[in-house]
Amino acid sequence: MIKSFKDIHWPVLFLTVGISLSSIFFIYSATFRGTDHFIVKQLMWIGISLAAMWLVVSFGYRTFLNTSYLLYGISILLLAGVLIFGHERLGAQRWFQIGSFVLQPSELSKISTILALAHFLISRDRWIGQKRSLFIAGGMVALPFILILKQPDLGSAMVFIAITISILLIWGIRLRYLVIIFSLALISAPFLWHGLKPYQQKRLTVFLNPSVDPLGSGYTAIQSKIAVGSGGLIGKGWLRGTQTQLDFVPEHHTDFIFCVVGEEFGFLGSLLLIFLYGALIGYAIQIMDRTTDRGAQLLAAGVSAMLFFQIFINIGMTIGIAPITGITLPLLSYGGSSLLATFIAIGFLISIYKERSIF
Amino acid sequence: MRTIANRIQLFKIGVYGLLFLLLLCLFQTQVIRTGHYRRISEHNRIRLIRMMAPRGEITDRNGKPFATSRPSYNVAVVPEDFDPKDLPVLSKLLDLSPSEIRKQLSSVRSKSLTPVLLKKDIGKELAIQIEEKSPLLSGIFIDVQGVRYYPAYEISAHVIGYIGKISDAEYRSFDRDAYAINSDIGRTGIEKSFDSLLRGEDGGKQIEVNARGEQLNVLSEKLPVPGADVQLSLDIELQSRIAPILGEKNGVVLMMDLKTGEMLAMLSNPSFDPNVFVESGRDRDRIKLMKSTRKPLVNRSIVSAYPPGSVFKLVTALAGLETGKITPHTTFHCPGYFRLSARSRRFKCWESSGHGDVNLFNALERSCNVFFYNVGRLVGEKELSRYSHALGLGEPVPLEIPASDGFIPSAEWKERKPGEHWYEGETVTFAIGQGYVQTTPLQILRLISVMATDGKILKPTLIKQTEAPAGEPETVPVKKSALKAIRQGMLKVIESKYGTGQLARVDFMRLAAKTGTAQAPPRLAHAWFAGFFPYEEPRIALVVFVEHGGSGGLVAASLAKKIVTVWHELYSSTEKFVKPALPPVALEGMR
Repeated sequence: MIKSFKDIHWPVLFLTVGISLSSIFFIYSATFRGTDHFIVKQLMWIGISLAAMWLVVSFGYRTFLNTSYLLYGISILLLAGVLIFGHERLGAQRWFQIGSFVLQPSELSKISTILALAHFLISRDRWIGQKRSLFIAGGMVALPFILILKQPDLGSAMVFIAITISILLIWGIRLRYLVIIFSLALISAPFLWHGLKPYQQKRLTVFLNPSVDPLGSGYTAIQSKIAVGSGGLIGKGWLRGTQTQLDFVPEHHTDFIFCVVGEEFGFLGSLLLIFLYGALIGYAIQIMDRTTDRGAQLLAAGVSAMLFFQIFINIGMTIGIAPITGITLPLLSYGGSSLLATFIAIGFLISIYKERSIF
Repeated sequence: MRTIANRIQLFKIGVYGLLFLLLLCLFQTQVIRTGHYRRISEHNRIRLIRMMAPRGEITDRNGKPFATSRPSYNVAVVPEDFDPKDLPVLSKLLDLSPSEIRKQLSSVRSKSLTPVLLKKDIGKELAIQIEEKSPLLSGIFIDVQGVRYYPAYEISAHVIGYIGKISDAEYRSFDRDAYAINSDIGRTGIEKSFDSLLRGEDGGKQIEVNARGEQLNVLSEKLPVPGADVQLSLDIELQSRIAPILGEKNGVVLMMDLKTGEMLAMLSNPSFDPNVFVESGRDRDRIKLMKSTRKPLVNRSIVSAYPPGSVFKLVTALAGLETGKITPHTTFHCPGYFRLSARSRRFKCWESSGHGDVNLFNALERSCNVFFYNVGRLVGEKELSRYSHALGLGEPVPLEIPASDGFIPSAEWKERKPGEHWYEGETVTFAIGQGYVQTTPLQILRLISVMATDGKILKPTLIKQTEAPAGEPETVPVKKSALKAIRQGMLKVIESKYGTGQLARVDFMRLAAKTGTAQAPPRLAHAWFAGFFPYEEPRIALVVFVEHGGSGGLVAASLAKKIVTVWHELYSSTEKFVKPALPPVALEGMR
């Protein structure tokens, strides 16, 4: 017990717990007019997630890297299972319902894919047979990617792409391959477009021009922007955001929680939040930089990319610089699976720091 | 390792760069443009108005409407503008008690500018009266909305179907951009199958309103796209003349154009008035329909499957001819019964005194069971089953609305259950369309189309075809001579003095058909009549089916005569039909 507290990266831990506890205020503001006990549930989830994080740190990230293929296999089974037996909510099958809790396997599959990818790539020579390595890695990502697209959950699927590219970058992919991957992605975009559900296509066109669909997704885009913009410099004050209080912004305790921050605490609140997130990611990069274990480095790269990408897209979509996709804001959005996955991911960072070799 | 350090630097720059960009955009939204957003949010006054797309019409082949929209006049009131002294007048006009009106008014106290619906669908006369008095009745207005209307009432109601409001569960699982919480959605029939086409695309606008809820300006607007019309191949005129012929009987009439596969008539009795499902205040009628033991909501022509009885002998005959087990002139002796072996039970012919020596032609003509028991035994269960499937029985029927597959048995199917065996006795009952065989009337219609068109198995359609079908329809690989022999037998059914379908004989045209009386104990047998006309150049395939109607030759055939006569009355004005003189010798010659 004592040993497990040795060498804890306290700043990271404080940032994580601090941001997630602050979410209670935002979620309260977004939901106190309703009857559901969102706050109690969220507090429970923070507790559960902290316990999970502690487990990750005490086992050490190496244990997870070594069992990564098993974890990856399990998460693929869960993803396939959710498509078959899952619970349909809001037009997509993303959830397992267990009692009154719902589990979203795509959140956990992000972690297991990062682990599996890192584990696989360190077993490959960087310079010999890189193409082959890339193909296999691509396949490993494509499987969960396609299963998640089928749910359909465009947002989570995009996170996989960000994670993969970052891990490959830190692993040492030849830059020309990276260019080729980007151009392939661009070329295949029109084909992917046809694979999307009509409402997803609409969301993407709405992103470019919100007025094409003033009733559906365009409405959300416009209203969330009004919410954030009307916050001004210092905000309207806690529980005083009219946009979110009056239900103009849908899903404001989950995907659109940032509207509460922006509307009630203004630009200064947003600035502080982004500063905290920036610090968290900064520490993550520092941990990645300082470890001598290549596997740990790739793992940290995946975790940082996951955190960063979700933060950027989520906040971006509330102010209209990113399309509306179902991406949660790490540590702030209401939802157990997302919180659990984020805490576990940060647990890896703490573990990497703890088990770094000291010169 | 230098590369890796560089890569980490690159990653760091990317992350911080993008976070900085995010901050800049937030600054732009929250600090520079905040005045603009704050003004909108303070006035909070963005309203969403959904503009419903008018639903497309469903018409018959001549453009007569099956489903259209009619205006519904609803009385609404703006609570804040309403003067309580008008209460007695209003209560008398609307036939609502003052307390009821008060209750409705107070249901939305917080938003008193939102109109409240007082009474739906009040009828045009009353609406005009209220409009005339509106200067006296403050806050009262008439809200006109489109309501689905089915002017053909019971005619082909099963095909047309009806619409309903979407349920909460559906709303949650459907594309929210296409369906609003109150949207109509096709529930059954064409209304369901063609829902996405008929519904069009709802439009909407975001308007900014002032504190009184009055529109200030339109922020954005999308006009609704009206739903497309669907033109069916069915003929309302023809069908409304056929419907009284069927009367109160439970049954089916199907007519198909043999050139295009277009369905001209698809009637299933008892039917229902689809308006019951869209008009308000008819809940009791709805429940009555759903609970009725006559099951008026079931489309008997495509959903219910029945034993085909002797109509199935067409399949047995074809299988016999094709497998070479018989020729048209093979003769069997009918003593009135059939035995598999000297000690087996007797399988009866319907004619207990027997038909004597019969060949294919007079076996079809007289519907001799013994002849087909013999053929079935020679051909065997496997081939009977194979030919049934090839002729579309026990197979899915391609149609715009869901139809059932029916069922064709086989030894393999039966023996899948441990301890079960297929007996030869089952083969011979199979051969006369009894036992496990189940077919829908539509499948029998397709079977007739194969006989009539020299082997083409038509794809039935309910949609009017504007151009000739692309490519040749599927053909069943059978000898034309076999089909010709069966057609000759079917002609004798009607035209010969021994034929079981004589009651369908008409004097303006030659029909060819097969009757069926399918045993359905303990109740009366099902009556079938399945044929085509004119014999020389087949145009129309016809199936008449009466559930527990009794004898096919008596009940179904006499209905068929009336139906063909009605068809002739309608279509002979544009075309002349001549019945060739047919010497009785020619018929006898086929003996």
